[in-house]
This record gives sequence, structure tokens and C-alpha cells, in this order.
Amino acid sequence: MKKSLLGLMSAFVIISICIVPATVHAEVAIIVHPSNTNSLNSSEISRIFLGKKRSFPDGSEAIAVDQKEGSPSRNSFVTNVLKKSGQQMKAYWAQLLFTGKGRPPKEVGEDGDVKRLISQNPALIGYIDSSKADDSVKVVHKF
Amino acid sequence: MSVRTVLLLAILPTIFAPLAFSDVSFTGYGSIIAGQTLGTVDDPLNPGQKRDQILTADFYDVGQYDNEFSFTPESIFALQATADIGEDLRITAQLVAKGVDDFEPEFDWFYFTYQASENLTLMAGRRNLPMYYYSEFSEVGYAYPWMRPPSNLYWWQITQFNSLQAMYDFEMGDYSSTLTFFHGNERSEDNVEMKFYDELFGGTAESVDELWTDITGINWSVSGDNFDVRFVYFQNDRDRDTIQPDGSIDPFDPFSQTFVGFGGKVDMYPFTFLFDMNIVYYDDVHKTEFPTYLLSVVYNYEKFQPYIVYSKANQERTTGAGKSKDLEEHHILGVGVRYNLFSKASIKIQYDDFIDEGEESTGWAYHGDSQTLTIGLDFIFN
Repeated sequence: MKKSLLGLMSAFVIISICIVPATVHAEVAIIVHPSNTNSLNSSEISRIFLGKKRSFPDGSEAIAVDQKEGSPSRNSFVTNVLKKSGQQMKAYWAQLLFTGKGRPPKEVGEDGDVKRLISQNPALIGYIDSSKADDSVKVVHKF
Repeated sequence: MSVRTVLLLAILPTIFAPLAFSDVSFTGYGSIIAGQTLGTVDDPLNPGQKRDQILTADFYDVGQYDNEFSFTPESIFALQATADIGEDLRITAQLVAKGVDDFEPEFDWFYFTYQASENLTLMAGRRNLPMYYYSEFSEVGYAYPWMRPPSNLYWWQITQFNSLQAMYDFEMGDYSSTLTFFHGNERSEDNVEMKFYDELFGGTAESVDELWTDITGINWSVSGDNFDVRFVYFQNDRDRDTIQPDGSIDPFDPFSQTFVGFGGKVDMYPFTFLFDMNIVYYDDVHKTEFPTYLLSVVYNYEKFQPYIVYSKANQERTTGAGKSKDLEEHHILGVGVRYNLFSKASIKIQYDDFIDEGEESTGWAYHGDSQTLTIGLDFIFN
């Protein structure tokens, strides 16, 4: 009786460890204003969101906007596009902010808020769940 | 409150008030850190006597731990105000209050930033001197994994200067690069660290003024997806006024120094490797050299970041009658864990084993060994 209970518990533990909480990879679309004719590769997108680049390839101003912390699109963007952990991003911006070398992008809400702002301002670049993209914005990349 | 602080607090509203309609923002950071050393040691400067182990966690302000559990050596609160004047000009000021100063706020940073072009940024004002990799943000605990950048490396009596800086950003293939040129001066009146040494070795000085002038050099940093490295080179002139109670000033031979270093971090998930290798050359009568380095590994596991950090500091007089390798020398092995509590806050616990490798008979082994336990909470707000 004891042996089978032990076996059952071990199986339970092993199965629990194996069932890793499914992290949903939301496909993220990088969006700009429809009048923006620039094409951007992932490295250029990264640089704009990390504050290393302030303009699009054609020289026009580029202002990145972030979603609020915890949003699925933001988590997916940081992991898959910026290739950093949430913690690395916070440390990165703390370093830049308090040495006066940069400021993190403004947080503007969630997918709907980002889409609305970008459809109104040619200088902005942001990211949304790609299923939410429509004609009011232009998609420059998908991850 | 010092006269300078009162004057600056009075001036600040008159500078920021007209800008009330422009983009003024307040951010800040802080650390609440407490700890103590864990035993006693033979006093290297008084053979035959014992004293508490002492860890100097902050050399510049002489923030030290002894056997009494204390919050004052390293706790710090800082408020940063930035005001945008038009599109390209920004003023930044940082008001810092440290436990070691009884939390008396002081304007440690005050500078202008001008975006001259897409790639060129100019700065003028008072900032931290970019010596070691973490020098410019050494007090922002939230931004690095350990309790502090290893104190035996961050051991200089000057940490700030009044400067002009030009930063040029450019791309090197897939990598981003920034070349910074800086020039400035610092006259540290009533320098806390130098007064401490004077007293420690039986001096009678009323105060010590430390002068680092014509500080001129560069930082060159390169970063990619999973690394960030920085090369530093600068030179400056050194002078010191040790002022006795009667107003007389001790003789001192000015000299110049050169600082060279290479440091950074590399992410190889789940590990992060951090390193910093530096050497300072004095153009003094002994041609003194100070080689130092740090190596650290952090293991990143969800919200936990356990780490090991090893730092070594050395001093050598390479020529003349005083030629010697048996001067100040020490290393620290630190182990600890950082736990990322929630957004913008983390807690850390760290154990440091400081080994004083100096030759006791020379008087350079004045730190003595120590084992220290500290626990801290770091936070930022923005």
C-alpha cells in the first residue's frame, strides 16, 4: 500500500513539473502610421525601442510607445523582439534614466490604445497583438 | 543643512517654476540596506589589541559596518527632477540623501543635456566621473545584481566632477556604439575619505581638500543583443591640501594619473557574466600602479538571481627607493541572492568575505579581514 502511494505521489510530482504553465506566444505586430513608408528590420526596431535610435531610416522622427506592464503583447514583445527578460529591461532603463542617457518609452495602455495613438501620429511606432491590426495602421513587422 | 544646499533649494524653484508648463518629471531611486560584520579581528594598526571587524562599504563617504547592526552606512534616497526646455534641451537635478550623512539632502547631480543632432548629445554640469563600468550609476542598487559595486574597487576619494561631455552614437553593423569624450575638474573640499585616512594614521588635519583637475578622457561602449562592454581611458592631475588646525598646509608633490579599463556584461541565459578590469598609473616618484578587477556570475531563475562576485585590488610601487609590491592589497568574495519582488523593487541578501592581503608591518593592511552580512531593499519610481 505504501509503495503504490509513494509511486502515485512521485508520478503526480513528475507530471506537475512537466506540465509547465503554457506561455501563450501572442504574435506581435509592429505598427506605424499608414503614411510611414519606411521598412524596418528587427534590429532597427529593437534599437528604436531601446532608445538607441531616434529616427526612422528616412530620417523622420521615431517615437516608441510601450504598453502597460503585464500586458500579454508587451511580454511577448520584450521576450521575442528585444530578446530580454522583464527584469533586464527594468535594470536597463534604470541605468539610462539615472545617468541622464535615456528615458523609457511612454506607457500608453493596451492594444486598442496603441493602435488609436499610432493611427493619429506619423512619428509613433508601437506593437499590438497582430490579430488586432487593421487598416488604420501599417504593419512593418510581425514576430 | 549646508549653505550650498540651502542656496540650491532656494534657486531650484526659480529655475523650474517658469518651466511649469513644459515637461517636468520626477523620478527617484533608493536603497534601504542594513547589516553588520560578524566578528572581531586583531587590529592591524595596534598589534595585540582586538577590534570589531570593519567593512568599508562606501569608501567615498566612509560608510562602514561594524558589529553593531546598522542602517546608516549604505541607505540612500534620491530624487531626480528633469525639465525639458523645448525639444532639445533638458535640465536634470538629483537630490541625494545618504544615511552616512544623516540623510541630509545634497545636490549631487545638476546638468544640462543638449541634443545637438540625431547622434550627438552634449552635457554640461555636475555628474559622476565615468571611471569603472558602474561608476555613473553606482548608487542605483536596482540597476545591478549585487548589494553594491564591490567597494574595494570603488575606493577612490573622488566620484564626481564638474564637466563637459560629448556623446556620439553610431552603429557598428548589428551593434550599437557610443563614444563619449569628457573634460572636467573636481575640488573636493573637506574630503571625507582623505580626512578619515589622516585620522586613522595619527594625523591632526582639520580638513583635507582633494583636487583632481584637467580630467580628460573617453568612454567607448559597444552593445548587442546579449552584451554590453565599455572601454575607458582618462588622465588627470592630482593635488591635495592637508590643512592643519593652525591653517598651515602640508607639503604635497602634485602628480598626474592615467586610468585605463575594460568592463561589461555578457548574457548567456540562464547566466550573466560581469567583469571589469582596470589599472591606474601614477606619474609620481614611485610610479605607483593600482591594478584591480572584478568577476561575477549571476544565475537568472525567474525572480531569483543568485550570484557570486570576486573583486581584487592591488597597489604596487614600481620604481625607486620605495619599490614594493607589499602595499595595499585585498580581495572580496561576495555571495548573495537578489529577489525581484515586484515591478520596481528588489530585495537582496549578501555575505562578503573581505581578506586583507596587505603586509601588516607596512601599515597598509589597515582594513583587516571581515565577514559581513547585509540585507537590502532597492527601489525606483518613475
